[in-house]
Amino acid sequence: MQLENNNDRPSLDDLFSAIYEELRRLAFVVRRNEYAVTLNPTALVNEAWLKLADSPALTFESPLHFKRIAARAMRQLLVDAARRRLATKRGGGADVQWVTLDESVHQLAVSEIELIALDEALDELAAAEPRQAEMIECRFFAGQSVAETAELLGVSEATLARDWRSAKAWLAQSMRQTG
Amino acid sequence: MDAERWQRIQRIFNVALSLSDAEDRESYLREACDGDGELEAEIAAMLDEDSRPDSLLDQGVEQVAGSMLGASAPPPGTRIGHYSVKRLLGEGGMGVVCLAEREDIGGTVAIKLLRDAWLSPTRQRRFQTEQRALAQLNHPGIAHLYDADTLQDGTPWFAMEYVQGITLTDYCRKHNCSIERRVNLFRQACDAVRFAHAHAIIHRDIKPSNILVTDDGSVKLLDFGIAKQLDALDGSSGKTRTVLRMMTPAYAAPEQLVGDEIGVQADVYSLGVVLYELLTDRLPFDLSNLSPLEASSVLHGDAPVKPSEHGTASAGRAQWADLDVLCLKAMHADRARRYSSVEALIRDVDHYLGSEPLEARPDRLAYRVGKFLHRHWQVASVLAAAVLVGAVLSVFFTIRLSAALDSAVAEASRTKRVQQFMTNLFQGGDALAGPREDIRVIEMLERGAETVETLASDPPVQAELLHNLASIYQQLGKLGAADALYAQSLERRRDYFGEESAEVAESLVAIGILRIDQARLEDGEALVRDGLVLAESLLAPEHPTVIAASLALGQTLRERGAHDEAIAILAQTVERQAATGNASMDQAAALSELAKAHYAAGHYDDSASIYRDVLQRHRAIVGNAHPLVAGDIASLAAIEQDLGYYDKAEMLAREALAINERYYGVESPHTADNLTSLGRALLYQQKYEEANEALERALAVQESAVGPSHPLVAEAVNELGNILAMQDRFAEAAANFQRSADIYRNVHGDRHYFVAIALSNVAYMQMKQGDYDQAEALFRPVIRQFTDALGADNVNTGIARIKLGRTLRLAGRYADAEIESFAGYEILAAQASPSISFLRAARDDLVLIYEATGQTEKAAGFRQEIAALDNDATH
Repeated sequence: MQLENNNDRPSLDDLFSAIYEELRRLAFVVRRNEYAVTLNPTALVNEAWLKLADSPALTFESPLHFKRIAARAMRQLLVDAARRRLATKRGGGADVQWVTLDESVHQLAVSEIELIALDEALDELAAAEPRQAEMIECRFFAGQSVAETAELLGVSEATLARDWRSAKAWLAQSMRQTG
Repeated sequence: MDAERWQRIQRIFNVALSLSDAEDRESYLREACDGDGELEAEIAAMLDEDSRPDSLLDQGVEQVAGSMLGASAPPPGTRIGHYSVKRLLGEGGMGVVCLAEREDIGGTVAIKLLRDAWLSPTRQRRFQTEQRALAQLNHPGIAHLYDADTLQDGTPWFAMEYVQGITLTDYCRKHNCSIERRVNLFRQACDAVRFAHAHAIIHRDIKPSNILVTDDGSVKLLDFGIAKQLDALDGSSGKTRTVLRMMTPAYAAPEQLVGDEIGVQADVYSLGVVLYELLTDRLPFDLSNLSPLEASSVLHGDAPVKPSEHGTASAGRAQWADLDVLCLKAMHADRARRYSSVEALIRDVDHYLGSEPLEARPDRLAYRVGKFLHRHWQVASVLAAAVLVGAVLSVFFTIRLSAALDSAVAEASRTKRVQQFMTNLFQGGDALAGPREDIRVIEMLERGAETVETLASDPPVQAELLHNLASIYQQLGKLGAADALYAQSLERRRDYFGEESAEVAESLVAIGILRIDQARLEDGEALVRDGLVLAESLLAPEHPTVIAASLALGQTLRERGAHDEAIAILAQTVERQAATGNASMDQAAALSELAKAHYAAGHYDDSASIYRDVLQRHRAIVGNAHPLVAGDIASLAAIEQDLGYYDKAEMLAREALAINERYYGVESPHTADNLTSLGRALLYQQKYEEANEALERALAVQESAVGPSHPLVAEAVNELGNILAMQDRFAEAAANFQRSADIYRNVHGDRHYFVAIALSNVAYMQMKQGDYDQAEALFRPVIRQFTDALGADNVNTGIARIKLGRTLRLAGRYADAEIESFAGYEILAAQASPSISFLRAARDDLVLIYEATGQTEKAAGFRQEIAALDNDATH
């Protein structure tokens, strides 16, 4: 991941914490099951990015550039969170047991293992075809539309649709093997 | 998996997908994979996945976020430090807040935990900032911090006062609060913000949901999560970086939205929006769905609809007019036109609540009369209207201006007197609190003064008003008018209270200080002494009047060069004040006076060590980043400058500048002052370009802060002129002095002595350029002007004559020169310290003149005087 100004750790860090807070808000909305009536989650994420993109503290070549970085940040953040949760669940020696507040949410939830498997499979895909890994980041982690993602990666929508289908299928089978 | 293999997989996968028949697919797959069983199994698995709905990747990231970052909280009964968790209170982006009970000694607290602290240093830093802010801010309107620590899994937490209440806006709606009540609650919130600012903390996220009202109706300011510690060592050289936080733009100041540097005025803006919402139950602008940049341009566009136009609660028309002004001034898009501080906002809120005229209000007669009627309708109804109008003017001007003449102005005026006794460039002017529209103020004062005459039936009140009016005139530099009014006040006090009264003592001291302003130091000293003796005979030694008189005497003595005496009396005053054991701020002020006296006496070490003491006291009271601290540092800079340690002076000046820039923003009269000292320090290091740049910046700041024709601008222009003169750029210097003369003429009128001072500088530059005729042609009317305005014996008259004397000597007109130089010498020698530069110049000139005209005895006399002084100086 490259930020416009290299070594600008604080900016990157700001980006992370901003996205984190936005994701938590998003999670909160999802949990309250209100998102359908208030904001669709993708729009919410997009809105966060709009706000960030206008922030002069971070400079990016273009909005597209920004969104690519943000998508990567989002992935890293969620996967890190999954790893932490998993470690704690497996007896990390914490003095406080954190509990999930709403069990119904837990049932439809994605498991940590699943997400970590996705992350690893994505790394493998990136080794073969980096553009497709980026596509997954943009479409899945960043919730971008097909059109937007196609523009972002500089491919036609038809190509993108085909790539999406094959990459998705491959990732899914790879994750099933790991899981 | 390499790229080639992946290409192959995709190709086979896509072809297989196009085959709808399952058997066709299977046989194609076998054939295409050509005996590579692994490949075949992989693609078969892909096809299998492809036919399933709802893979993880189809779910959308929100589900993942919901799971990975889902709300988790310590369950009831969890122990955190000494506390036991009761229940979850809430959660936000930063973490969760739980209600908890202290196990050993009881009591309920709110515990805030930072979830996922590992995620980023930024979040940890912010959490710590909030914790530190709460620890520092011990104020009834801000939740107290009790305890803080980190859990074993690395989660930081802190325990704070549990505030049980509802948001400000909900409270007002629920209780259907009156406008009066709303404004009162708002004022409480302002006070908490003011307190934070006094500790150099900017809240940066003020909105109704962060302001709670408890059951007993008291207000608490919450969530210092993105507060800014002004002196935080963040290595960002004073720049307040944008906080990337998804704050709702509705309450953010425009400069916050675009990521400009922000100062205390950002909080003033947010408070303005909160007030708007309280008054109207709606937001001033609809900024939803706008990006910050778009939102900012909306804010800079049309002003919002006045609150009065959709006010919901009942208030009179006059009150609404005031609320409009108050609210819109607080939330002005241009921060230079906002209230410059929360204090200023609070002052006007108080004026509103007390039915007094607002400081933000244009001075209009009808408005003032209206105010008076509202406040004193019973009295007003029995008073004749004619009397009323005049009385209103004086009463309210007195009230308004004495409130405005807060310590900042008093301090500014004191500092000025030290700085430039010889040129008397006293402005009375903190542009923030001082009179903005001097001329109109003067007109009003004049009418007010006339009307006070009619209050003869109540001598003590009349005397008090006269006294106050006089002090305002004095602050405005109208010394003649002040003199007359003080005299009237004194006369009435003598008649009413008798000669032996504290009131008479107060008058004597005030007139004494006026004499010092008029450069009549001897008279001033005598009056201040009389006042002090009288006050001491009537009042306790630590009584404020006695202390004030002592400080005034100390100043007087210092200014006439009696340094030892000045130091003795100021030291005694400091001791007396210490004996009272309170009012550490006042003590610091008295110590500052003492430091100034030592400074004037040339005891730089003593002065510096007292200033360092004062600095420490101020830091203990107001923190590291307060303008008071900047003032002390600036004084230390002045000392280093005098000692010739220009690099140290530069460093200190920069430090003071940085503090004021952070506190007031880059564009404030305060930063302009610091820039001026910085410019001086740079100049003496021969860094001319940087020096000019600093001074020009100072000038630009003043111009934008107070307008191009304000006396403060004249002062900055004057300073720039001095510096150009030091670089021998006399023509440019003259242009600057001419400009300050024009400004003074515009503000004070032709005949004011400030105009004469500036013109005298112009003339001096002409002399420096060798244009002796022109210089003389300008000096002569200047001297007449000084004589008319201040008297023939005034030091300013003397200085101008000395300068003219030198001009004439240089022109070779020794007879004319002798007259001027000698006259000037006599005027100054009678009043000023023998070592001041003007007297030295006069002696040098006289020696040369006498020698040139063969008056060797006289020349020898002055030579001796010069030698004696040099001798003195070496001992």
